[in-house]
Amino acid sequence: MSMEYYSGLSTEVANSFGMLTESMRITFAAVMIMATIAIAIFMIGMYINLKKWGLGAEGYGLKPSNGSIFTFPKTLAYQMSGKGHGHGQNIFSTLIFDALLQRRALRRSPGRWVMHLAIFGGWIALCIMSIAMFVVEIIHMVGIHVLDPAVFREMLSFPNDVFSYILLIGIIIAIVRRLFVAKARESTIAFDSVLLVGLTIIVVTGFVADGIRNGTLWGLGMQSDLAPPASLFHVVISLFFCIAYIPFSKYMHMIAGPLTLMANKGGE
Amino acid sequence: MKGEPSINTNNLTAVQLMELDACVRCGECVNWCPTYDAAGKPAGLAPRDKILRWSQFMNKSYGLRARLFGPKAIPEEEIEAFKDDVYGCTTCGMCATVCEVGINTIELWESMRANLVKRGNGPYGKQGMFVKLIGEYKNPYMEDPKNRLNWIPDDVKIADKADIVYFGGCTAELKQTKLAFATARVLNKLGIDFAMLGEDEVCCCSALVRTGQYEIEDIARKAARQNVDGMVAKGAKTVVYACAGCFRASLVDWPRLLGEELPFKVMHITEFLEGLIKEGKLEWEKPFDNLTVTYHDPCHLGRHVGVFEPPRSVINAIPGLNLKEMDRIKANQRCCGAGGGVKAGLPDLALKVAETRVQDALAKSPDILSSACPFCKRNLSDGRDSLGAKELVVEDVIVLVAEALGIRLDDCVEG
Repeated sequence: MSMEYYSGLSTEVANSFGMLTESMRITFAAVMIMATIAIAIFMIGMYINLKKWGLGAEGYGLKPSNGSIFTFPKTLAYQMSGKGHGHGQNIFSTLIFDALLQRRALRRSPGRWVMHLAIFGGWIALCIMSIAMFVVEIIHMVGIHVLDPAVFREMLSFPNDVFSYILLIGIIIAIVRRLFVAKARESTIAFDSVLLVGLTIIVVTGFVADGIRNGTLWGLGMQSDLAPPASLFHVVISLFFCIAYIPFSKYMHMIAGPLTLMANKGGE
Repeated sequence: MKGEPSINTNNLTAVQLMELDACVRCGECVNWCPTYDAAGKPAGLAPRDKILRWSQFMNKSYGLRARLFGPKAIPEEEIEAFKDDVYGCTTCGMCATVCEVGINTIELWESMRANLVKRGNGPYGKQGMFVKLIGEYKNPYMEDPKNRLNWIPDDVKIADKADIVYFGGCTAELKQTKLAFATARVLNKLGIDFAMLGEDEVCCCSALVRTGQYEIEDIARKAARQNVDGMVAKGAKTVVYACAGCFRASLVDWPRLLGEELPFKVMHITEFLEGLIKEGKLEWEKPFDNLTVTYHDPCHLGRHVGVFEPPRSVINAIPGLNLKEMDRIKANQRCCGAGGGVKAGLPDLALKVAETRVQDALAKSPDILSSACPFCKRNLSDGRDSLGAKELVVEDVIVLVAEALGIRLDDCVEG
């Protein structure tokens, strides 16, 4: 079984730089280890959050629970099944219109909706495509040659570009808001800005890594042998910032937000 | 975990603790909060800020750092300051309406209040008197329970038992008696037999629930039990309320306190009248003289339980009245400022919010500012007086109905 990690360079190109084959193996191992660590940190963080939420009661007027990780899911299920006041929407309507399409945000501020949907949509699409590319590469590596990773990567090249720019536009709007809209600027705290700064770095490094690989504008004229380390840098900070950091940061709203909408049946 | 956390999670459900982590800090709640606006925008009163602070309290007490190194102590002054801010809220629900992730902020604030009461920090100021007053007098006005019958004029017929029970509520029966007068005479005029609980009626305990004191001495649950049992004994199939606060308490709070659904239907008087109007059962005898009326949605009737249209239908049916809406109505309406214990605990803040709401009304140049809650009427009247807008009449929908039906109310002496 070949252990070369397909880092975006074609296999032929990779083999012509003999020493890069070694670094690609290291890159693969490094990415796998770091991904495992990132996911482990994420799971530890979620465990701590579930324990924290689990200190609440299972219902109105009941005594606090003992911090069991099952308290929150039980309470959530009970609340979702009960009669709620407010919209009392069904779960599908809530998930699609409020969680996914963020209808409640659109009602309040179309501008903020555009910004957030761009960031959310871009982030989710890129995440899904990254996972898809990784899965295809792994399948190919273990010897199941259903889809050629290079071909698949080429297929996703355009949507990757599109969603990357959508995400970038969303981030630019967010930065402009935080800097130039007085209300947003004055209410910004580290809790908010860390997320934005981190996301900006990830997006920019993603463009740069891809640009070096393809020799495009975002490559900034750098040599193609810098593509693997550039990719590695992007992948590592993405793993740690966009996965591991979730439970410990404002990112938590990505999980708690939809859960809140479901618990309250679409809200008031 | 080493050491004891400074806060606990009493009265907070697991879902509510999760909601604290759902806030995206969009700030929409801050844009709409009436007390934040009326108080001059102090950061502590912003709903977003309150969520962040309690979330930080939770993380300091039970988060990763707490698990590794022990809880971080939270200065008592900080918790006291938080208590002051969480009570600086009328529980109007505007923040819940605009929250982009649908956090049920009303219940979150009430749970935090209950937590702080148990901890010994809450309630706020004079709100602490509610327990003693309601516990001892069964009403918050320190009136003898027998005085609940004082408002009843000789001509009003109240059945011993009937399918309809009218729950008067403490404010209408003891203070703003014109409301009870009007309701009773309207029901009589329409030939509707109704019963009342009389001196056996106990406060709905909305004030206790809103201020986090509902578990003290089990007063709220016992009151709900007594009221419900009394209504059943009176034969109630439908219970009618003219007070939005009592209506909301019976619809939402009593089933929770008792752990059971109510064995009768619950309606606000405007819903009840709307049905009768649709059946053509109201014969107007004394139309108004082409007056403009603007309607203020009580938070407990509108946002909390979704009754927006019936009061408007009733107003629109009254001849001689022209309904002109304020800019902020229905789910976006601005609170009158009285609710959530603010009228008792922070009367200056309640007045400032009322002034803002009256200014909303005055912008439409109405003759009458109407509502469907005696507490709203009281605070809006105070706001009107404070602004010196003497020409603006503040009156309840049921009183307007009574007047249009030709019912005299001038023999009513308000407490």
